[in-house]
Amino acid sequence: VKYVQKLLEQIGLGAERLIMVNVSAAMGVQFAQNAKDFSEKIIEIGPNPFNTESEETAI
Amino acid sequence: MIIAEQKSLDELKTLIGDAQKVLVVGCGTCVTVCFAGGSREAQITSASLRMATKIDGNGKDVTDVTVQRQCEWEYLDQIEELIKEADVVLSLGCGIGVQAIAEHFPDTWVVPGLNTTFLGIPTEQGVWEERCAACGDCILGLTGGICPIARCSKSLLNGPCGGSEDGHCEIDPSIPCAWQLIYDRLSRMNRLEAILEVQPPKNWSTSRDGGPRKIIRDDLRLAAEEE
Repeated sequence: VKYVQKLLEQIGLGAERLIMVNVSAAMGVQFAQNAKDFSEKIIEIGPNPFNTESEETAI
Repeated sequence: MIIAEQKSLDELKTLIGDAQKVLVVGCGTCVTVCFAGGSREAQITSASLRMATKIDGNGKDVTDVTVQRQCEWEYLDQIEELIKEADVVLSLGCGIGVQAIAEHFPDTWVVPGLNTTFLGIPTEQGVWEERCAACGDCILGLTGGICPIARCSKSLLNGPCGGSEDGHCEIDPSIPCAWQLIYDRLSRMNRLEAILEVQPPKNWSTSRDGGPRKIIRDDLRLAAEEE
């Protein structure tokens, strides 16, 4: 995850677009909170610059 | 093996310059094992360059291929067409691979994607350490299999120096003193008397001081057979 975060930063997409969290099958509330927090974060960061309406990018 | 590490993406973009068609060439030998320039890294580098140059507003046509060994003509011949189609070749081989491509394809512009760093071993996952300086006159038989040329900061032949403290080097306390290692090993092997033998100054002409080196084996040369 650290490696890909470094790549994303170098590419210009930003390392904050990727996180990893550890939750067990018994931690539903924690999982939901992590998902909610990250969803808010990526909305704040904005859309992936490759996903433009006029152009589909195949990487 | 040869240990190398990747240059930053920014440096790669500078090296590629204005070229539009870029071929990233990985190498399947040493730099694959040290996770710097194998097939996986070549694919990641080409995808990263495609994305980064697109974000910069000048998306480039970046593809990749990996050969078993960049340092042998036979393997480079297999990708001749791809190399000739490219504006620039970004080699993820060691410095030898980059030069092999330049030498074998005189009309191709090739740039290095790695910094070739040293000859060494992985001491644990993700950690590599220098072990050999390729001096051309191996003295490991005198030093219990521990090389003072590569592992002593001063490359001393008669150590340790006064900078050895608690088994570590004055240059950096995280570096073990090579001569302490040699002493410990010779002691363990009951060969400590070897350390008392004073070594004369080393003949460095077999190393870089003698200029670029070359080995000729007439028993292996096909040209010699024809002569």
